[in-house]
Amino acid sequence: MAKEVTLSGCAAAAQAVKMAKVDVICSYPIRPYTAAMMELAKMVANGELDAEFIHGEGEHAQLSVCYGASAAGARTFTGSSGVGVTYAFETYSPISGARLPVQMMIADRTLDPPGDFGSEHTDAMSCRDQGWLMGWAETPQEAFDNHLINYRVGEDPRVMLPQFVCQDGYFVSHLPGKVTLPDQSQVDEFLPPYKPPHALDTKKPVSHGPQIRPDQGVIMDLQRAQAFLDVPKVIRGAIDDFNRIFGRRYSPFVEEYQTDDADVVFFIQGAHALTARHAIKHLRGKGLKIGLVKLRFVRPFPTEEVAEALSKFKAVGVVETSTSYGGAMRGGNLLHEVRAALYDAPKRPLTTSFMAGMGGEVIPLQEFYWMAEVLAKAVKDGRVGKYVYWVGFEQAA
Amino acid sequence: MAVAVKTQTLSPIKKIRSVPTEEYYVPGHRTCAGCGPALQYKLVAKAAGPNTIFIGPTGCMYVANSSYLCTPYAVPWIHAQITNGGAVASGIEAAYQVLIRKGKWEGELPNVIVMAGDGGSVDIGLQAMSAMMYRGHDALFICYDNEAYANTGIQTSPTTPYGGNTTFTPPGPAIPEGKRLFPKDPPQLVIGGHPAVKYVATASVAYPVDLINKVRKALNVPGPTFLHIHAPCPKGWKFDESKTVEVAKLAIQTGMWVLYEWENGEFKYQHKPKEYKPVREYLKVQNRFAHLTEAHIAKMQAFVDAKLKAPGIPVEIPVPPPRATA
Repeated sequence: MAKEVTLSGCAAAAQAVKMAKVDVICSYPIRPYTAAMMELAKMVANGELDAEFIHGEGEHAQLSVCYGASAAGARTFTGSSGVGVTYAFETYSPISGARLPVQMMIADRTLDPPGDFGSEHTDAMSCRDQGWLMGWAETPQEAFDNHLINYRVGEDPRVMLPQFVCQDGYFVSHLPGKVTLPDQSQVDEFLPPYKPPHALDTKKPVSHGPQIRPDQGVIMDLQRAQAFLDVPKVIRGAIDDFNRIFGRRYSPFVEEYQTDDADVVFFIQGAHALTARHAIKHLRGKGLKIGLVKLRFVRPFPTEEVAEALSKFKAVGVVETSTSYGGAMRGGNLLHEVRAALYDAPKRPLTTSFMAGMGGEVIPLQEFYWMAEVLAKAVKDGRVGKYVYWVGFEQAA
Repeated sequence: MAVAVKTQTLSPIKKIRSVPTEEYYVPGHRTCAGCGPALQYKLVAKAAGPNTIFIGPTGCMYVANSSYLCTPYAVPWIHAQITNGGAVASGIEAAYQVLIRKGKWEGELPNVIVMAGDGGSVDIGLQAMSAMMYRGHDALFICYDNEAYANTGIQTSPTTPYGGNTTFTPPGPAIPEGKRLFPKDPPQLVIGGHPAVKYVATASVAYPVDLINKVRKALNVPGPTFLHIHAPCPKGWKFDESKTVEVAKLAIQTGMWVLYEWENGEFKYQHKPKEYKPVREYLKVQNRFAHLTEAHIAKMQAFVDAKLKAPGIPVEIPVPPPRATA
């Protein structure tokens, strides 16, 4: 029987990995994701999980071990945070280019300058163009679910791509939440065993990753790009099955909250959506028609779904939680994606962005109220004051 | 947890005529004429046989061998970054361990062999190699040593000899000897710091039977093993491509390369000359050393004399002099 427990995001991730019957795990310590590996180490030591648990000598090795193991036919799991994520950067494109469905948990952490251990999405977002799926969880429950959904999608023969399964450090990774753990039989029904089509097998010798000429490279790039075009349909199928088997109600790509009559919305991914919902409840009580649109996958970016969802509103405030220094909108990357998705929409809302939760700070309710004021003023003025606001550091324009 | 162990015994051979005729590294690649690394690859593949997976970190044996749709490998082969040969091998070995244990793969644990250049072994690849040795994966790590980053245009590596002229250590009035540092000692790095390792050996393309037998022994020994194979590079060392084996032999005759096995703490030597020729004999057949003065050659000879007394780095190794007095 499924049972309800209280788990942190890290513990929830470890439970999902265990129920996915992963074969090879490669660890290296860095906070905050480490807690997931500590759970898995205990499961292996106690004999609850039959997997090779390898102590990598760094994040680059973690991904390299998983690359080899996945090519040999094993389901793999690894993870990291912050500068650990960027230390492994070399390995990301070879893994997606080899079409190996390695799964990596990222519990976000700020990149250095030195020593800030708060949650910020910049570590993962810096890797968004490496050919991996990527999306955030808002709660430990969603983290648990996303690990299973990503294995299913990534290992689908139409996809065969690695996955960054992200959760905010501390806000999700270390705060306990209610998690419904399914039966193993439900997981087995949802997630078939990993069967790679071209595993390293001495009975059927193949060469993996030979050197190519420029004219051969473009075809491989095209195939990887086309695989991403097929991913949305595979995600939809997986979510349908997931909702049916586990009794959840996920939308595949964008989730809307209080949007039916909304004039303005926050557009957000990850943990701070939870605070935003509370802020919206309060603001609605004061008469403001405000809602929320939450992104579940940033790769592949659900262009049509985002355009369709957001073009209903008068103004959209993108809550970034990551940096893109010198970028087109001078703030984070999410606004770039949102504006690009809306460019061809018949009706475009006003858009602006909020640098909030930076350095891993909490985004308190008051800051969401302030952001709502900025959005309300934009609607009133018929234009946004600026494309980026560093929340807490400036007056509303 | 159960650990899969190979039951195979690859038997030693006595003569070159008993070398298997089957090839697992087949013709059709694009290595240079007289390529030492290609020659050792062919011998290693023959020695290991069909139950083998090669991991090929970036290097000459990737760039010149592994062209799409015409790779020379008749056994499974996978590219690794130049950085991570040891880690990729660790993952493959671990995958086979668990897949065999869970009944998801039927068959014997394969020979897992990393074929890495000197850079991929003891420079940028050192961390991953050392970790594979430390963790005790059942895999053979081979450093085919052509003493430079060759496919990028002959740049110095940690095994380039003192005095070597490479494109990053060109001799000039301020630095007359070119390369000023003495090389790292790869097998001693492995022996000195990795308790799980029970077999390490050096080999040379000049002695194919010895090389084949060392590969087989390394694969028969459970756990991680390491081979350091001398593989002359006509293009990088600047000698005629018909002389690869001759140059490799001269290295052993002058003491520039020593053939030995280290097994469970014991050293055994092979093809040890009764009397060593002067190092000069080896240097003069390679244009990478053509600029060296008598003083430089004397320094090189002193290094070799000290090194021949015992395996490892001699304590009286000459250190590079301060720049002003070079």
